[in-house]
Amino acid sequence: MTGPNLPAYLLIAGMLFAIGALGVLIRRSPLIILLSLEIMLNGANLALIAFSRHVGNHSGQIFALAVMAVAASEVVIGLGLIVAMARRRLVLDVDLLTTLRG
Amino acid sequence: MTAAAWVCLFSPLAAAALIVAGGMRIPARAAGFLATAAVGVSFAAAIVSLASMLTRSSGDRSETSTLWTWLSAGTFHVGLNVLVDPVSVFMMLVVSGVGCLIVGYSIGYVDAVAEERRYFFYISLFVFSMLLLVEAGNLLILLGGWGLVGLCSYFLIGFEHERPAAIAAAKKAFIMNAFGDATMALGLFILVQKTNTLDWGPVFQRSQGLSQTVMVLVTLGLLGGALAKSAQLPLQTWLPDAMEGPTPVSALIHAATMVTAGVYVIVRAHPLFELAPKVQDLAAGLGAATILLAGLVALVQTDIKRVIAYSTMSQIGYMFLAAGIGAYANALFHLMTHAFFKALLFLAAGIIIHALAGEQDMRKMGGLRHLFPRTYIAFLAGGLALVAIPTFAGFFSKDSILAAALDAGWYGDILFAAGMLGAFLTGVYTFRMIFIVFEGEPSPFVREHLHQPQRDLPGVAMAIPVAVLAVLATFGGWIQFAPFWTPISDFINPVAAPLVEASNSEEAIASVVGVLLGLAGIGLAWLVYKRHTVTLPAARPWRAVLEHKFYFDELYNYVFYKPADLVARALGTYVERPLIEGSVDEVGEETADLGSRVSALQTGFLRLYVLAIAVGVSLFALLFVIVK
Repeated sequence: MTGPNLPAYLLIAGMLFAIGALGVLIRRSPLIILLSLEIMLNGANLALIAFSRHVGNHSGQIFALAVMAVAASEVVIGLGLIVAMARRRLVLDVDLLTTLRG
Repeated sequence: MTAAAWVCLFSPLAAAALIVAGGMRIPARAAGFLATAAVGVSFAAAIVSLASMLTRSSGDRSETSTLWTWLSAGTFHVGLNVLVDPVSVFMMLVVSGVGCLIVGYSIGYVDAVAEERRYFFYISLFVFSMLLLVEAGNLLILLGGWGLVGLCSYFLIGFEHERPAAIAAAKKAFIMNAFGDATMALGLFILVQKTNTLDWGPVFQRSQGLSQTVMVLVTLGLLGGALAKSAQLPLQTWLPDAMEGPTPVSALIHAATMVTAGVYVIVRAHPLFELAPKVQDLAAGLGAATILLAGLVALVQTDIKRVIAYSTMSQIGYMFLAAGIGAYANALFHLMTHAFFKALLFLAAGIIIHALAGEQDMRKMGGLRHLFPRTYIAFLAGGLALVAIPTFAGFFSKDSILAAALDAGWYGDILFAAGMLGAFLTGVYTFRMIFIVFEGEPSPFVREHLHQPQRDLPGVAMAIPVAVLAVLATFGGWIQFAPFWTPISDFINPVAAPLVEASNSEEAIASVVGVLLGLAGIGLAWLVYKRHTVTLPAARPWRAVLEHKFYFDELYNYVFYKPADLVARALGTYVERPLIEGSVDEVGEETADLGSRVSALQTGFLRLYVLAIAVGVSLFALLFVIVK
């Protein structure tokens, strides 16, 4: 087995996840939020694959493929929503979308 | 024999089903003819049943026929079965025969009334229920017929449902009858527990060894049902109010069928009653008391149908008296003659009421003798039969009941005295009614509202049954003239052996005294209401007691209705509103309140939600690490 050890992969994965989460939390543009979400998912994928390799079990890799598929579908819906918003000439700012406030 | 009995039973039910299924597709009059024909078929089937029964020897005339097992619980089985024996065939003949005449009369009476088909549906169903009651092969089927009869009488009394009085009367009849049904059901529960059967024969056999207390309770239950259905003291108050129904209904319910059910059940269940002699005495005593009470109240009534209704109560009192002392055949014989002359009186009164635009108040009538000569003759025949004047039907049956009472010891003597007093009262109130309605000059009301019956279909449909019944009321009693010839007693006695047998001298005494008292009553009525030579003392307090029917309605109002009403109102104010309504309201309000508070968390800011999720997950992760 070549390449770095498990902690190095996990560090990168954790950093990717944290960067993504920060992006989701502090950015207002739905486009950027979606992007950040993808980064979070990729962080999770990296962790899955790293563990898979560490344990020697391929399930993690297959699961990572499934996550990619989910991420792709999510992007389709998310981008669709954003396009719909843009068509109605709404400002692309999630803080203004408060119709569901209790 | 039993096949004919089944036909007799189901023919009216088939008519009822056809009328309902046909609905508006069959003409209104056709519904009437259909119902009449169906009851006529019942009568024919009953005759066939009788004929095949008469070919057998007198000890071999009871037969039970079961269609299927209707109800099974462990070792307890109840079948849908009929018992065909002399008593039930006798009742089938009376019910379907007189019923057929009355349903035929209805074709004329309710002609052109709205919802005529509904009337004929009810009346067919009623005849079916009554036949089910008298043919029932076990006590449960009997109770079923018993309840159905009560239900149909509710429908029929309240037939003119746009009049509040009719609805109130219908409810009253139903509730009083339901009370009787309940006591009867309680009696049956005891029987089921003690004997594990409800079929007549086994019940009679297995109840022989039961204790006196059990038998008293069982028979009291049955007697309660009988008293309610037959409008005897103390459950009599519904019958006069039931006169709100159409007149043929009054004739059917209050003459031929429903009210005689109580007498029938005492005769049918006589082996049970004989095991509880005290209850038998009670039945006879209540019958005698009802004779007097109804006779007195009838003296002051002003509604022609109510006078006849009270006379019905009084006459059924005689039947209860007879059934109570064990003169079963005499009770059934009087039941038959009474069905003839009482149906006649009601139907003849119906012709008058019909011709006077529905007026039932006797004070507005008068002088109708020459306007309705044939109805007058029919009514007079019915009245004479009611007073038990010789050669008319009532004479043969009523006096033999009183003769039997003479044979029943000192208690029988008291009953005899009450019955004789009742005979005198019968003469007075019957002929008071006849003199007021038919004698004198036509009143202004009569001249204004009279429209003579026509010789069209309705007129003829009403006239024929009255004519037939007039013949029966005049000559129908000759079928049995104790002690000279007694076919009815000979027919009934093998099934219901009498406990008392009047001797020839007792028959003679009862007849002579009864006829003399009846004539005296007629004479008094003649002096007071025809010649006006005698005026009655005012006696206001007594009159008020009679006009208020001995305050039974008021008594029940104070004893049962008012306390129940008070309790219900108190429960409504102090339990229902604060506790039940309040708790429901509170749950709703509190939930809404909590919801509005929680909804403050829902800010609509996406980032807050994400932060909450992130913090939550982090906390869980921390917890996990710590615990690990």
